[in-house]
Order: sequence, then C-alpha cells, then structure tokens
Amino acid sequence: MSIAKKMAPSFPLVVALFLLLAYPLSLLFARSLQDANEFSLTNYIQLFTDNSHRRALFHSLILSALVASISTLICLAPAWLFANEHFAGKSLVRAIFTLPMSFSGIIVGFLAVIMVGRIGAVPQFFEKLTGTAYTSGWAYRLSGLVLAYLYFEIPRATLTLESALRKFDPQLSVAARSLGANTWQRLRLLILPLIWRPLVSTFAVTFTVSLGSFGVALILSKRFSVLPLEIFQQITGYGNNGLMAAMAIVLVLLAFVINYSARATS
Amino acid sequence: MKTARLGIVALHCITWFLLAVVAAPILVVLAGAFLDPTLLGVTTERWAAQSSFFIPGWFGYVFQLYNRSLEFSLVLALLSVVVCLVVSIPGAYAIVRTDSRASRILEEITLLPLSIPGIAMSIGLIQAYAIVRGKWWLILCGHVLYTIPLMMRVITNALRSLDLDRLQNAAQSLGANAWQRFLFVIVPNLRHSIIVGSLLVFAISWGEFNVSYLLNTPLNQTYPAALYATYTSNSFAVSSAATTIFLAVIIPVLLALQWIGGREFSRPEQAA
Amino acid sequence: MKKTVLVLISSLLCSLGYAQEKVVIQYDCIPNYANWGGVTAAYTKETGVRIPPDMKGSSAAMAALEAEKSNPQADCAYYSGAIGYQAATKGLHQPYKPKGWEKIPDSLKDPDGKWWTVHTGNIAILVNTSALKGKPVPHSFTDLLKPEYKGMVVYDDPTIQGTGFTFVYGINALMGGGADMNAGFDYLKKLDANVLNYAKDNSYNDLLRGEVPIWINADGNGLKAKYVDKAPIETVIASEGTIVMPLVMGMVKNDPHPEETKKYLDWCLGDEAQKLMAQSFFRPVMKVDLGGKVQSEFPPESAYAKAKTLPLDQMAANADAVKARWSKQIKR
Repeated sequence: MSIAKKMAPSFPLVVALFLLLAYPLSLLFARSLQDANEFSLTNYIQLFTDNSHRRALFHSLILSALVASISTLICLAPAWLFANEHFAGKSLVRAIFTLPMSFSGIIVGFLAVIMVGRIGAVPQFFEKLTGTAYTSGWAYRLSGLVLAYLYFEIPRATLTLESALRKFDPQLSVAARSLGANTWQRLRLLILPLIWRPLVSTFAVTFTVSLGSFGVALILSKRFSVLPLEIFQQITGYGNNGLMAAMAIVLVLLAFVINYSARATS
Repeated sequence: MKTARLGIVALHCITWFLLAVVAAPILVVLAGAFLDPTLLGVTTERWAAQSSFFIPGWFGYVFQLYNRSLEFSLVLALLSVVVCLVVSIPGAYAIVRTDSRASRILEEITLLPLSIPGIAMSIGLIQAYAIVRGKWWLILCGHVLYTIPLMMRVITNALRSLDLDRLQNAAQSLGANAWQRFLFVIVPNLRHSIIVGSLLVFAISWGEFNVSYLLNTPLNQTYPAALYATYTSNSFAVSSAATTIFLAVIIPVLLALQWIGGREFSRPEQAA
Repeated sequence: MKKTVLVLISSLLCSLGYAQEKVVIQYDCIPNYANWGGVTAAYTKETGVRIPPDMKGSSAAMAALEAEKSNPQADCAYYSGAIGYQAATKGLHQPYKPKGWEKIPDSLKDPDGKWWTVHTGNIAILVNTSALKGKPVPHSFTDLLKPEYKGMVVYDDPTIQGTGFTFVYGINALMGGGADMNAGFDYLKKLDANVLNYAKDNSYNDLLRGEVPIWINADGNGLKAKYVDKAPIETVIASEGTIVMPLVMGMVKNDPHPEETKKYLDWCLGDEAQKLMAQSFFRPVMKVDLGGKVQSEFPPESAYAKAKTLPLDQMAANADAVKARWSKQIKR
C-alpha cells in the first residue's frame, strides 16, 4: 500500500489541525507583522519598548524559571519514592498528588487566596498560634504566585520524573560502591547522567505551562503583570489586534524555544 | 546504610509535606462550602435559596444562577471526547501503521498544541474566525485543539504496544477487508486506552479556562468562567460551593483515571 | 457505551431546546451588583425570557460592542454614566425611549433616547472595619493618604470599570481642581503609595472577607454588604464630598432581539425592577416607595450634602485622555 493510502485515515486529523492550529497561528503571525495593513515591526517594537509590557514579559520569564527550577528539584523526592519505594497508603498518596493537575487555573488562584491571602487560612492559623499573621498577603506577591504555580506543577513534575526514575536500577549503585566509588562520585558519574534528561524535560514542560498560565494570573497578579494578562487587557480594553497578535506570537515562540532546546540538549 | 535510611526519611518528609500542601486548600474549600460561615469569619447571601439542613442554601444559589454554565461545560466535555475519538483513532492508526517521515512529522504537529499557551491560541481563533465569534462550537474547537494531542498520545502508545502487523495479517488471512480489520480487530484492542483517553479528555475539557475564557459569551459560558464570576463578586460561601461542585465532577474522573490508567497518564502537559 | 451515547444525544437535544428559548443579552449584568441577579430572575419568572449574567465592566462592555459592531451580539448594555455617554456618541446605541421616559429628569437622559439612567450611586469609601485591625476608620479621601493605610486601599482600574473611572475623573473636582485635572492626578499619585492593587474585576468578595480592607466604590455596594450580607462594612461618604454616578442603559444598534429587548428595558423602569434595584441600595431613578426598612438603612441626606454632579458630556469627551493619562502616570 502506498504511503498516501496508509495515511488516509488521518484525514480528519489533518483537517482539524489545519483549521484549528495551522491557519490561526499563521494568521496571528501575519497580523503581528502588520500595522494598518502594511508590513511593519511596530507591534513588536511597541511590545518591547512599552514599560508595562516589557515588565510583564520580564515577570513572566522570571516567574516561570523560578517555578520550573523549584518544582523540578523538589519533586525528585516524591518521584523517587513513588518509583522505587513501597509504603502503606502509596496509591492514595499518589492519587492525591495528581489531583491539582486538571484543576482550572482560576481554581488554583482562588485556593491560593483562601490559603495565603491577607486573611487566608494559613495566616489565620499562625495568628492563632503565635499572634502574628505570617504569610499574610503572600498570595499577591511573587512568593504567592510561585506557590500557586507550584501547586499545579507539582503533580506534573512528579509524574514525569517518576517514570524516568523508575528505570534507574539500584543494583548499579551497589555495584559502583563495591568498586570503590564514594557517594559524591556515584551521584556525579552515575545518577546525574541518568536523570539529566528527565530533569531537563521536566524543567521545559513546567516552564512552558507556567509561561502560558492565565487563570492563576487573572486572580493573583495584582501587584504586577505577566504577559498573558497584558494580552487579556488588550482584548478587553484597547483591541489593538496587531499588538495582541505580537504578544501571542512572542509567548508561542518562547515556549517553542524552551521546548526544543530542551529536546536538543537531551 | 545509615545515610541511605536518613535519605529515605528525608524523602518521606518532603513528600508528606507536599501532600499536605496539595490537600489542605481542597479541605478548606470543602469546609467553606458546608460549614457555618461564621466559623470562618465570613458571611452569607440574602438571596440564597432556602437553606436545608445538610445542603447549605448557597449551593441552591449557585445552581439557580449558573445551571446553564454547568450544563454547557458538561456537554462540551462529552462532545470533546466524541470529537477526539473520531479524529484520533483513525489518525493514530494511520500514523502508527505508516511509520514514515510524513507520519512522524504529523505526529509532531499533533503534539504541538501542548507547547502553545492557551491564551495565544484563543487570540488566534478569535482573529481567524471573527465572523463566528459568538458561536458555541468555537469554544468546542478550542477544547478539541488542546485535547486531541492527549488522546492521540494515549492511542498511539497503545497501538505501538500491539503487534499491528501480526493482527492485520491474521485478520486479512481470514478474509477481513480494511474496514472490518479496523473496526473489529484494531479498535476492540484499544478499549483500555480509549477509556483512559476519554477520561483524560473529559477532565481537561471540564477544567479548561485559558482558551475558553475569551471565547465565552453571556449565552455560552463555561463553568470555570462562572466560577471566576463567583470569586470576584460573590461571598466566600458561594464561591466555595461553586468550587465544590467543580471538584465533585472532576475528582471522580481523576480517581478513575488513577485506578484504570497507569503509564499512559504519566506525562500530560496541560496549561492551567 | 450505549449509555454514553444516550446521555450525549439527550444533552444535544436539550441544547437544541435551549436554542428556542427567548433571551436578551445585557452586557455588564453582574448578578451581585445593583441586584441585577434579582432583577433578571424576577423578569425571567414573569416572562420566561432569560437574561444571562455578564461580568464585563463598563469600559470592557463598550470595547466589546465596538469590536462586534458589524455583528452585534448584545441587545443592551449597562454602564456608569460617562462611559454610556461615550458609547452613545460612538454610535453604538440606537435611540429608544422606554415607558416612563418622561419621568426621568433631563440631566439624567439623552434627549434622543440613546441612553438613560436607571439608578444612581455615589462614590464612597467602603471600609471593612475588622480588617482595619484597630486603625481608625478614614473619614475623607485625604485621610486615605495617611501612611497607616499602606497596602489597604483598592479602587477599580478606570480603563476597565466605570465606577473606577468615575472616581478617577471626579476626585479632581472634590480636590478643588480645574480643567487641567492636575489636582486629581496629584492626589492619585500620592494615593498610589497606599494602594494594594488596581482591581480589574469586582472586589466585592474580597471586601467581604477583608482581603481588601478599603474599597473606593459605589455606596450601594457597601450598604448591601452591611445590611444584607451582615458584614462589618462601613460606608463612608467622604468629608470632601461625593460624586453622583448615574448608572445608565442603552439599546445596542442592530441588536439581535429588538422586540424582547424593548419590553425588558420598559420593565427595568417599572416599579418592581426599581424596587429590586433599591434593595441593593442604589437609588432608583423613578420615585418608588422603598418601604421603611430600606429607606432607613440609607445614610441620612445630610451625608450627601456635598454631592457633586459632573456634566456627563465633558466626562465622556475627556474619557480617553483621562484613561490614557492614568495608564501612563499611575498604572502598575
């Protein structure tokens, strides 16, 4: 059978991808390079020179990098446990861990506010205990946003790392030790190369998802803006199509760059 | 040995701490929805429906105001599952059995939406299809865009673990034509992954906000958007009740996924 | 399998059924603001026509109408006065004079019927007294500049919400400023030090819970929080005075459901609707008997002695310039 005939059943898929993905993206790209129907880079220039837009972009990058690094590192712990250890209640724990993954972003934002807002559950708890409301108002600062993003990145990072760590054979470690390698050498020469790839890809995935997160930002980003919010303001307020398109394309490109450079290094 | 045991204890501590972080907010929300609000220092709504003993009146208020959004989101989720199945099963079949450069490129493109922020695609859809902006099925398109990659990945993984050639040859030798081979041999073998994929698509579509929010109209509003409305303009009790309703739908789905799922479920990438 | 198909078919049939029902789309129809939830529910009960909630603020509603000019999705819109005026001058409304038109004072309506007031509010300082944690309740806008209120003040982003815009525009007059708006913007710049954030959305929920201790918004919302939701909210009419904010409606040009919309707009000026709006402490434009309890819960007339009514045409003409200046000088 020819390749074309073999690929025939994918026709609906191809149509769907064209209509929903290829066409809108190309249109967006074209629009971003237009200003009053002429080719121009004004939209991108405006995006990078306008103070509030530039700051929003900067915040987006910093936030995503922070969240990606923290979640990737800290989730090694549960990932390892799920992959290699057995303990009572493991499946229940694992089930609870994966809950936030499908939570809508605004729900996570709401949860952050009720937990670490000005009068969140955590500050109220601290206040009852010690008299001072620690962590009050965190929700609206960088720390709160990081926590909120971490909330839905923890399950993602854990599961990604878990499937990678499952392949790690503890016998290798035993063998290395019997050959005289100390802990540090085992870590550096044995464990690190094995988990490097999943670490990088987890970082890339969590970075991308945080970058594009809109729901959480809508509720929590009160002190400072992030790029998805700038897009939102454009569409609800000023309606500059070209600028909106440019912002969207920048988001998409950033996501692509991170993802594909992660793939390239591993 | 001691360091190893200490290490394991440390891992446990971190894990249980993270578990508490994950579970605590959900418990607080449930408390807010069911308990007397004055315990939490918050207030109630005068216009809440008559309070009965167990189900606090604010659930009634949420249902009264946002029942259309609930129905709409449920219908969207079900339709997303249907569309994904119809598009992905033949699509995955084509890709796996062809195994050429073209099919690999198609597979890459299929997984693309997972890397694209939802709000960017939402702007894309709005600008590309401005004429039909008010229509409800545009929102469905947004959902489908983000759920097809997940369904595709589940099905392609399953197909790859089957020995397709052997199955096809055996069926062919028994006289089955292409359609019969597909419908009666391949698809039944995919039952497990179809269930897993469907649950996954349902869960993602139910919670989808980034793409839907800008495509929403007052007539066609998804439930997450209604949730957002309660978070800003209603009291804590009402928002907690609304959130509890959301959780009541999604938690069983996620638990079912956990129970049935397994490896196929281990690498979803969905923006929140 | 069969069960899922059945469920699917029945849900699809239900949605088809919905396609037959009558609707009127109102942009800016926030259920918990000015009791639109109560008003629309009562209308649906009486006529069967559904008016779904819509959370857009005044400016967002106007922006949406502009974007949809060639294919209007909305039937009518509700705005704070100046924005509604602006929308009418942009040609987004069609003229219509609802029943009871004659009874509306001339200053509160457009002579051609492109917009009219349904109720009014006043810009006030809404304070969650328990969230203040012992600090004194502010009594004036100048009080809000005191360092003790750092991180406690919120007002709405004027580029999105009409009430926020009315405040940003009107504070100039209350501070004795002139046409150059410098007095107002000086004040806003100083206030910025105490501002927690510029709300892009309704902060009612936050005010109730004390997340937002001080919200500069319509007095009606504060009074409702105190008397209906029984929250520790004080509605302070500042000593410098207050701005009367007419809240207006207009019928969208080329709207999808003109007949139903006209009936709805007529009804909004009727006794029942006006009384329902009064329940959330916005002053109805029509003279209705509010009943002793609600009447007594309104602050005394003396508090409103220094209420300023700003000319809407000027406000609308300067709206874009003021919003732009605010975005440049104040916005974070």
